[in-house]
Amino acid sequence: MEQSYVVAEKFWPLLRVLFLAQEASIKLRKHFFPFSPLWGFEPQASPLDSIKGPHTSTQGLGPWCSPTGSPAPLSCETGCGEGSWILVCRLLVPTQVSLLSMEEDIDTRKINNSFLRDHSYATEADIISTVEFNHTGELLATGDKGGRVVIFQREQESKNQVHRRGEYNVYSTFQSHEPEFDYLKSLEIEEKINKIRWLPQQNAAYFLLSTNDKTVKLWKVSERDKRPEGYNLKDEEGRLRDPATITTLRVPVLRPMDLMVEATPRRVFANAHTYHINSISVNSDYETYMSADDLRINLWNFEITNQSFNIVDIKPANMEELTEVITAAEFHPHHCNSFVYSSSKGTIRLCDMRASALCDRHSKFFEEPEDPSNRSFFSEIISSISDVKFSHSGRYIMTRDYLTVKVWDLNMENRPIETYQVHDYLRSKLCSLYENDCIFDKFECVWNGSDSVIMTGSYNNFFRMFDRNTKRDVTLEASRENSKPRAILKPRKVCVGGKRRKDEISVDSLDFSKKILHTAWHPSENIIAVAATNNLYIFQDKVN
Amino acid sequence: MEFKLEAHRIVSISLGKIYNSRVQRGGIKLHKNLLVSLVLRSARQVYLSDPCPSLYLAGPAGSRGAAGVGGGPAGGPAPGSSPLKKPRRNSEEQPGGAAAAEEEMETGNVANLISIFGSSFSGLLRKSPGGGREEAEGEESGPEAAEPGQICCDKPVLRDINPWSTAIVAF
Repeated sequence: MEQSYVVAEKFWPLLRVLFLAQEASIKLRKHFFPFSPLWGFEPQASPLDSIKGPHTSTQGLGPWCSPTGSPAPLSCETGCGEGSWILVCRLLVPTQVSLLSMEEDIDTRKINNSFLRDHSYATEADIISTVEFNHTGELLATGDKGGRVVIFQREQESKNQVHRRGEYNVYSTFQSHEPEFDYLKSLEIEEKINKIRWLPQQNAAYFLLSTNDKTVKLWKVSERDKRPEGYNLKDEEGRLRDPATITTLRVPVLRPMDLMVEATPRRVFANAHTYHINSISVNSDYETYMSADDLRINLWNFEITNQSFNIVDIKPANMEELTEVITAAEFHPHHCNSFVYSSSKGTIRLCDMRASALCDRHSKFFEEPEDPSNRSFFSEIISSISDVKFSHSGRYIMTRDYLTVKVWDLNMENRPIETYQVHDYLRSKLCSLYENDCIFDKFECVWNGSDSVIMTGSYNNFFRMFDRNTKRDVTLEASRENSKPRAILKPRKVCVGGKRRKDEISVDSLDFSKKILHTAWHPSENIIAVAATNNLYIFQDKVN
Repeated sequence: MEFKLEAHRIVSISLGKIYNSRVQRGGIKLHKNLLVSLVLRSARQVYLSDPCPSLYLAGPAGSRGAAGVGGGPAGGPAPGSSPLKKPRRNSEEQPGGAAAAEEEMETGNVANLISIFGSSFSGLLRKSPGGGREEAEGEESGPEAAEPGQICCDKPVLRDINPWSTAIVAF
């Protein structure tokens, strides 16, 4: 026991300074944040609500979307080989005020300007941490490290500007999560948005779930284009008039106003996770959803915020015996009783909630035997699954580990049916990647609408697509320098040793700070959204 | 021999990561620390199982070193836990993977360990074998005499494994 006192005694001065610094930094961040979340019943117009009217401003699009060329017919069937990909637009999420950029006068930093300003630096709070299309593809939501959600809406087709269709404009921006401090554990809770999931649309409003490490929130995004006017109980300044002076009662009339998009938090699901939430998934019954952290998965009902059911718990009685953690989880797209979760050991478990209340026993267990020739110090790290996604059909699951993407058939548990090498040339560099922490990067993977093409990200702002039918693959780059609007993306190639051909890039020249972790594919069309640090690129397939 | 150096390097990098994760924003990330501890365990096993007699320490601290070597390749869960393990067992966010593989600890190393951590790991990478010998006796003069960033290629490397084991447990 003495030993622990000695440790505490020695560390206390240092720890105390750390705690104070953490608290101070949170206070400073709150003070300098120029906007606040939209709480309460009255819709408070925040400077961030995009005001849309007949003259829609093309905020965030800049010169990159000036229409050139003929409109491209969009088809889901072209896969990635036949067509080519063109850049639709590059969107900069609005820069956040942060301690790093204090030299500029806060007052002069107008949010509208920041849409168009082209920063050569990105504050860490602007880094996009999740991207998700809604079920129709009309809306695209991004979350960033600063706890903000930005929703983009697809440009409506109009007769005179047919080729502008496919571009996305900012629709709504709101602060979803704030940094918090857990005083009991002396931990700061990051406000970074880990995941966003849309609910299917059931009325005029849009609903989405957003989560940080500890708390899930249900947001309602709705449009308001009418305002009640004609109150006579208050004077022009808003002060209540003396009731003795009021002689008539006027019923307020709804008058049209400029379209305003407002986001309100409808539910807050908090205090259910001891560890960091890594996934959320909406069930196909649209009444429940699950949230997964490192060791537990909880099932929630959208209407009930003070209770959740724990359906998976892999925490060992003795934490020293911990060997694996949950890394991702998703509900089956059609069977509301089934879900899968992946582990850090490279295994996937399919569970059926009808079997028992606590789904610790899996129905199916997917694991590929390890290749002993590839064994190294880092074998466990690179086999850890970073993302798992059901195909739209519900027949397959796709998993992403550090070097590969694998497609599994739900009916075959002993090995995947397809394995795609994303960047196998990194296998010999694992030690350096361990040193610079890149080996811990969690790449996501996505299916296209017809489940024929899969896509995932890599380094140097490269992302890869694999056509499951033709077995062709392509590497593309999302970068400012190489992308003019409507320009066709040129396939890239990484040269592995030997002579480097022109246009190839050698492994040692790859920029590991430019990583594409988050991508999204439109549910029915060949439109993709690729997040590269603080930039969101939208590409569409152009069939020649 | 190369494997040993590589393993040593990986062990020190891993410990650095564990140490840094304590002060990272957002709290300790269980997944990352579990992976780091698995790497640590693999590297340590390689290190201890690689036969390289010149690195074994003979001397007053030799008994500890030899015990460590003998138990190394087996690497089972520690039956005798160091006193430091007990208070930490209740902590929710401890990466148990590496701790489970440790052998018996010498409590005398803990005081060392604190001063090593306090000097930001410079004590772990030591240049002179002579400085390392004093450290094994449980005194705190070693870290101050150490130069940061030096990779140790000689004798005291093996002896350092035990304080590192305690480091993981302490974390």
